[in-house]
Amino acid sequence: MSSEGKDKDKAAAGAGDRADGDAARAKTAKRAAFAVGAFGLVLLLDFQLASLIPDSSIRQLLMLAACNVLVALSLNVINGMAGQFSIGHAGFMGLGGYTSAVVASQLHASFGGGEVTFARSFIVVPVCVLCSAGFAGLFGLLVGLPSLRLKGDYLAIVTLGFAEIFRLVIATAREATDETPGHAWAAVRGIGGFFHAIGVSISALGGQNGYQGVNPNEGVPLYAGPFWVFGLTLVLGVLAWRLKFSGWGRALRALREDEIAAAAVGVDPTRYKVTSFVISSMGAGIAGGLMAIMRDGTPVVNPDNYNFQVSFDAITMVILGGSGSVSGAAIGGVLITFTIKAIELVQGTAFVLDLKRQFDGLDLNALRMMVYASVLVALMVLRPEGLLGERELFSKKGRKPKAKAEAKAKKDDDAPKGDPPEGEAS
Amino acid sequence: MKLLLEGVTKTFGGLRAVGDVSFSVENGAIFGLIGPNGAGKTTVFNLVTGVYKPDEGKITLGKKDLVPLKPAEIAAAGVGRTFQNIRLFGQLTVLENLLVACELQKKAGLAASLLRLGAHYSDERTMRARALELLRVFDLADAADEPSTSLSYGNQRRLEIARAMMLSPKVLLLDEPAAGMNYGEAEGLKTQIRWLRDEFKLTVVLVEHNMQVVMGVCEDIHVLDHGETIAHGTPDVVQKHPKVLAAYLGEEDEEAEADASSAEETA
Repeated sequence: MSSEGKDKDKAAAGAGDRADGDAARAKTAKRAAFAVGAFGLVLLLDFQLASLIPDSSIRQLLMLAACNVLVALSLNVINGMAGQFSIGHAGFMGLGGYTSAVVASQLHASFGGGEVTFARSFIVVPVCVLCSAGFAGLFGLLVGLPSLRLKGDYLAIVTLGFAEIFRLVIATAREATDETPGHAWAAVRGIGGFFHAIGVSISALGGQNGYQGVNPNEGVPLYAGPFWVFGLTLVLGVLAWRLKFSGWGRALRALREDEIAAAAVGVDPTRYKVTSFVISSMGAGIAGGLMAIMRDGTPVVNPDNYNFQVSFDAITMVILGGSGSVSGAAIGGVLITFTIKAIELVQGTAFVLDLKRQFDGLDLNALRMMVYASVLVALMVLRPEGLLGERELFSKKGRKPKAKAEAKAKKDDDAPKGDPPEGEAS
Repeated sequence: MKLLLEGVTKTFGGLRAVGDVSFSVENGAIFGLIGPNGAGKTTVFNLVTGVYKPDEGKITLGKKDLVPLKPAEIAAAGVGRTFQNIRLFGQLTVLENLLVACELQKKAGLAASLLRLGAHYSDERTMRARALELLRVFDLADAADEPSTSLSYGNQRRLEIARAMMLSPKVLLLDEPAAGMNYGEAEGLKTQIRWLRDEFKLTVVLVEHNMQVVMGVCEDIHVLDHGETIAHGTPDVVQKHPKVLAAYLGEEDEEAEADASSAEETA
C-alpha cells in the first residue's frame, strides 16, 4: 500500500470517528428529547384523560388497547421472531394478572386502604409489574425448558395445556371443609400437607367468582393509570424494537429459518429459544398484570378472563399485523381490541336486541370467532405474511442501501493485500 | 489444529452408516473425504459438528474432545461447515447471514443490546466491517442487502463458505462445494480453496464427488464405502487403489465383460 493511500485511510478514519461522535451525540440528544416528551405526555394523560374523554368505557378501551399491544408485542417475540408456536399466552397473562391483583390488594391493605392515589402508584405499580414479570417468567422457564429442547411443535401443545391447567386450577380450587373428600390430608405432613397448603392458598383466589381484593367485594385497587399503562407500553415497545434490531433478534430470525445452520454458526437453539420464550412470558405477565389493576378497568380478576379465546386473540393480533414485525404487532393489538369493542357495541343496539328476541341464543361473540377465522383464512390465502409482513412502519430507509455503499466505497479505495483469486466467471 | 477421528461408529437402526472410521487431518492440510453415494461422508461431517453423536469412538480437535459438545459449542471451538443442500437463512439479507455467525464473538450481552449501550454499537460496527470485508473477498459485496435467496446457486454456495469463515474457524468442513458447478467454476473453486487455506491458515476437509476438484486440490484423501474405510493416501495412490476402482466402477470381471460386449456391439 502506498504511503499516500495510508494517509488517505487515516484521514478517512479520523473523519469517520468524528462523524460517529457527532452522530452519537445527536442520537443521544434526540433520544433524551423523545424520552422527556413522552414522559410529559403520559404524565399529562394521567391527570387529564378523564376530563378529555368523559366516557369511562372509551378510556377503558384505550388503555385496554395499550395492554393488548403489550400482549401482541410479547407474543411476537416467540411466535413471530423465533417462529415457535405458542398458543397459551393467556396462561401467562393470567399468572401476571392474579399476581398483580394480589400484590396490589395486599399493598393497598398495608397502606390502610383508603384512596388510590397517584403517589402510591409509584410503589404499587412497579412492585406489581416486577412480581408479575418474575412469576410469569419463572413459569415460562418451567414450561419452555422441557418443550423447547425438542424439535417440532411441542411448545404449542405444552403451552395450550399449561394455560388450561392454570385456568381450571384457579376456577375449581375450593376452601376445604371437613366434608371435603381427602380433607384428612390437611393433617398429613410432607408432600400431602404441602399440596394442601398450595390448595388452600389457591382457593383464596376466589375460584370461579374471581379475586376481588383482600376483603370480599372490596375490589382490586386500580392503581395503573394512563401514566403507567401508556408509559410502560412505550418503554416495552422500544425494547421490543431494539430486541428485533439487535444481534439477538437476528439470531432468532436465523433460527426460525434453519435451526441446524444456526447451530453450525454458534447460535445455540435451546438457549436462544428458551430465553426468548421467557422474555415473551414476562411480557405477557406484565400485560396481564397491568390489565388487572388498570384504572377504569374491572376490579375483579376472573379465571374466564384468561380462557383459550384470549390466547387465540393474541395470535390473531400477531398474524394480522405481520409475524415478526414490531409495529405490525402493535397495529394488530389495537385493531383486535377495537373489533372486540365494536362487536360489543353492535351487540347492544336495538336492532340486534330485537333479533335476539326473535332468535333465542343469538350470540355475536360466537359470531366474532367465525368472522376472525374467516379473516385469518382469507389472510393466509391472500397475504400470508400479514399486513406488514416482517417489515416495520417508520423503519429507517437510509439503513438499507448503506451496506452496499460502504462496500463500494471500500472497493474504490486501493485494494488491500491478498485479494482473492478471481474465481469462476460471474 | 489437528482433527482426529478414532474408531468412530454410528448406526441408524440396523444401518451401520459409519463403521470404525479413523483418520487424522494435519494442521493446514487440504483433506478429501470421498466415496460413492451413501458411503457415509456427510454423516462423518454431522458427527464432527455434533449434529449426531457417535455410538463409539473419539473425535478430537487439538486436545479438545468434541463428542460431548453441542453443535453451537463445536462451532465455538473452531469448526466451520457448509452444507450439501445449501442451508442459508433465506429471509435474511446476505450481510445478515454473515452477522448471525458473529453471535459468539459479541461482547455486548442481551441487556447491553436492549439498553443500546456503547458496547452494542461498537460490536455492530466491528462485526459489520468484518462481514463486509469477507463479502468483498467472496465477491458478494454488491449483493450485501439482497435477500440471500435471490443469489445464484454458485453464489449461495460461496455465501455459505463466507458465513462459515465469519467464525474464524480453525477447521473448515466443505460438503460438496462443487455440486452443480461447471468445469470453469470448479477450476475457480480449486484456486479459492487453496487461497482460503493459505490466507486464513485453515485446515480444510472436503467432501466432494467432483474428481477434478478432489484430485486437483487435496493432499490427502480418505475413501469410504458403505461406512467403512477402503483406502487412504495421496491422490495418486488412491486413484490406483483396486478397492477404490471397484467401489466406483464395479468389479474388474464385470467391467471386462461389459467392455467385451460393447466391443462386440460396435463390431
